[in-house]
Amino acid sequence: MVDFSQNAEAITSGANLSYWQLVRRRFVRNRYGMIGLVACVFILFTAVFAEFIAPYHPETKDRKTIYSPPQMIHIFAPDGGLTRPYVMGYAEEMDPVTYEITFVSDPNDVRELAFFVKGDPWTFLGIEFDRHLIGTTDGSFVHLIGTDSLGRDVFSRMLIGTRITMLMGLLVMGASCFIGTFVGVSSGYFGGTFDMIVQRVVEFVKSFPDLPLYLALVAILPRRAEPMTIFIMFACILVLLRWADLSRELRGKVISIRSMDYVRAAVAVGASDGRIIRRHIVPNTSSHIIVWATYQLPEVILLESFLSFLGVGVQAPMVSWGTMLNQVRDFQSLAAAPWLMAPVGMIVISVLAFNAFGDGLRDAMDPYSHD
Amino acid sequence: MTEPLLKIENVAVDFRTATGLVRAVRGVSYDVARGETLAVVGESGSGKSVTARAIMSMLADNAQVGPETKIWFQGQDISEYSEAQMLRLRGDRISMIFQEPLTSLNPIYKVGDQVAEIIQIHRPMPKQQALDEVVQLFREVQLPDPEARINQYPHEMSGGQRQRVMIAMALANKPDLLIADEPTTALDVTVQAEILSLLKALQKSHNMAVILITHDLTVVEKTSDKVVVMRYGEVVEHGTTKDIFSNPQHPYTKHLLASDPKGTPDPLDPDAAALMQATNMRVAFRISHGGFFSRQKTDIAAVNDISCAIRRGETLGIVGESGSGKTTLGMAMIKLLDANAGQIHFDGQRIDHLSRRDMRPLRPRIQVVFQDPFSSLNPRMIIRQIIEEGLIVNGIGASTAERQELVGRALDDVQMPRDAMNRFPHEFSGGQRQRLAIARALSLNPEFILLDEPTSALDLSIQAQIIDLLRDLRAKHDLSYMFISHDLKVVKALCHNVIVMQHGNVIETGPTSRVLEHPQTAYTQRLVDAAFNVISA
Repeated sequence: MVDFSQNAEAITSGANLSYWQLVRRRFVRNRYGMIGLVACVFILFTAVFAEFIAPYHPETKDRKTIYSPPQMIHIFAPDGGLTRPYVMGYAEEMDPVTYEITFVSDPNDVRELAFFVKGDPWTFLGIEFDRHLIGTTDGSFVHLIGTDSLGRDVFSRMLIGTRITMLMGLLVMGASCFIGTFVGVSSGYFGGTFDMIVQRVVEFVKSFPDLPLYLALVAILPRRAEPMTIFIMFACILVLLRWADLSRELRGKVISIRSMDYVRAAVAVGASDGRIIRRHIVPNTSSHIIVWATYQLPEVILLESFLSFLGVGVQAPMVSWGTMLNQVRDFQSLAAAPWLMAPVGMIVISVLAFNAFGDGLRDAMDPYSHD
Repeated sequence: MTEPLLKIENVAVDFRTATGLVRAVRGVSYDVARGETLAVVGESGSGKSVTARAIMSMLADNAQVGPETKIWFQGQDISEYSEAQMLRLRGDRISMIFQEPLTSLNPIYKVGDQVAEIIQIHRPMPKQQALDEVVQLFREVQLPDPEARINQYPHEMSGGQRQRVMIAMALANKPDLLIADEPTTALDVTVQAEILSLLKALQKSHNMAVILITHDLTVVEKTSDKVVVMRYGEVVEHGTTKDIFSNPQHPYTKHLLASDPKGTPDPLDPDAAALMQATNMRVAFRISHGGFFSRQKTDIAAVNDISCAIRRGETLGIVGESGSGKTTLGMAMIKLLDANAGQIHFDGQRIDHLSRRDMRPLRPRIQVVFQDPFSSLNPRMIIRQIIEEGLIVNGIGASTAERQELVGRALDDVQMPRDAMNRFPHEFSGGQRQRLAIARALSLNPEFILLDEPTSALDLSIQAQIIDLLRDLRAKHDLSYMFISHDLKVVKALCHNVIVMQHGNVIETGPTSRVLEHPQTAYTQRLVDAAFNVISA
């Protein structure tokens, strides 16, 4: 028998962390990434429970207040002293010279705020609810970020818009990840003529000028179709142009993994190609795919709002951040109601959040990191 | 005894990591005087390189040097030096040679310019004058044709030549202290001997102090005056080379000293039938060169018309320098690589024309252990999954429990604890990983195993154990091995017969003892010298 007991190696046993445990530990230490993660979770949470958090249905119109500015929440009573939060209604006054309508808070129109009030019905997983996170005690309207040209609550619409924008982001990200991984891994693994042809296709896709193509492709979408159909087709167009990057990156990685000894060892025990790809190749590219995905989401969010702003993306009555911004296309409405720009704030926050999260993940998964 | 040139006391280095503080080096003290060679010996991870980098203050960002650390160089405490002061010292008074000559030279500059730069940084002078000095240096490190060499790029040189350039660079400003961090580990054995002799000669002519970091005790015995043995970041023993080698005190030192591969192969049944037989094997790699319109294809023969046979129970050694085609031959024989010509018979069945699918039934009987245990185990799988894979693929073992038992038995065979099953490869050291790789091969109950330099990525003391283990396993399971190596010491302990290869051709073949004792060619003689004498005295 061979004596292994004297080896220096016999005693060394550090913390037994798996790769993912190590990644999690490194990630938690990264403050910027953690802030990003918290913000991402918050945004996704908002998207899922938008109808509960939003005070109103996105189509509910407050006909008495059109282009009403945001209402401040007050916690001090007019006669001094702390009171439960309330907002004040607006009294409209028309300037007799310019015909400009100005809004002045009306101290006599106090609307007290409350949690979990009854309001517009909404459904979640097929069950109908009518409770909303915030509202007023007497059922009068509260517009925390004002209203738009039809008197719809901007705050509610922005929250509901989160859902469509995120859905678009996740859909495009998921589908392009899947296609990119499938194409990239098979192209890198099998190589040869197949690889040659696939890579020329990738180059072809990548050589398209993005923006004109988006506009042209969207132009051929049937105008009269259901908004949902257009939404799906719009997503398909984005996917069509986005998978190519990932597949090119993965191909290179797969080629280097393919020549690793553990893959050759799998061939030596008689494993099939499918098994090698599933068990050896894909798990070792997973960190790359995940990081790519987190960077992809903010890009899709930006693209969606940009194209919808131009009026060629998501179509009304669907509410997304982009379609909301579509309302401030003309200079007058921007000047008259700057609060309609609120979705820009959400876009910036979500893009920063997902980028921060992606950065943190990349650092945590970096095999050459020193710690 | 003169005042030591370098004296370090209580050097402690910690690394902040995600898993907590790793204490890499604790309380290390040693000293070295002018004209003296100090060897720092230990296995990988023992903290010997970290200590050297602490002297140069070239540690990674997450390293912390302990408050007790004192480093005196020429009477000055340089552990207190600022980065600017260290810059003046590094490359001038203290130089360092690194392990990997491929990556320590910048590929886009000519080697002459790179060495001249070091001279000019510390001693401002005109470029031409610096280049003249470089030619002198290249002559000193015995690079042939130094005037032409200074205009070459690193990729135009061999590994040994590059390491000579690195040495010239280290000597450029006539340093007082030279730290050589495993200077020969990445080189061929035959080149190793030349580099070590060169270092020894240069030390004498420059009257330098040298710190030689190595895991190879043969090198230590032949080159150093004093030895420091390190383990787990601590010094376990230090003394003069003579004392340590003749009278080691610490059990770990004794263990290291006893780690030369020993023993001889088990006797071979003379009537054993051939198990694996290859005739007229030829593997060529096609290389395109020439211009766009004059594209030419040349076949470089990596294996040129080689025949060999391995009988049941036999261990056949394939020896040669890197690039001699020994791995290519082995991989082609087990059909992990396509051969251009030749016949292969396994257990009487012809297999060279079989497709990958048709090979599958034979795979469990023919296994392989790769050279680098760090790349041969999938980092995302636990050990049980890694070893189990072959069982699942080949339908061995009906249930999970049954397979787990088979995996456990394979682990017993390589003397790894069964609880290793639920761990990831990165939790094991190189030697342990190599044992796990052997366990993977054994789990399929093979008859033939190709061992592709299974010990060359490992520390010397581990090498001997792996060899002993392989010999035990061979007898226990009645295995036949094809053993590829560049190290004749290992071959002597394990192989019945040996084939010596160079540039894809067989140079010499025969029983191991005869080839080693009476080499017929100069090439074989050189390999034998490199393995058993290290430095031609």
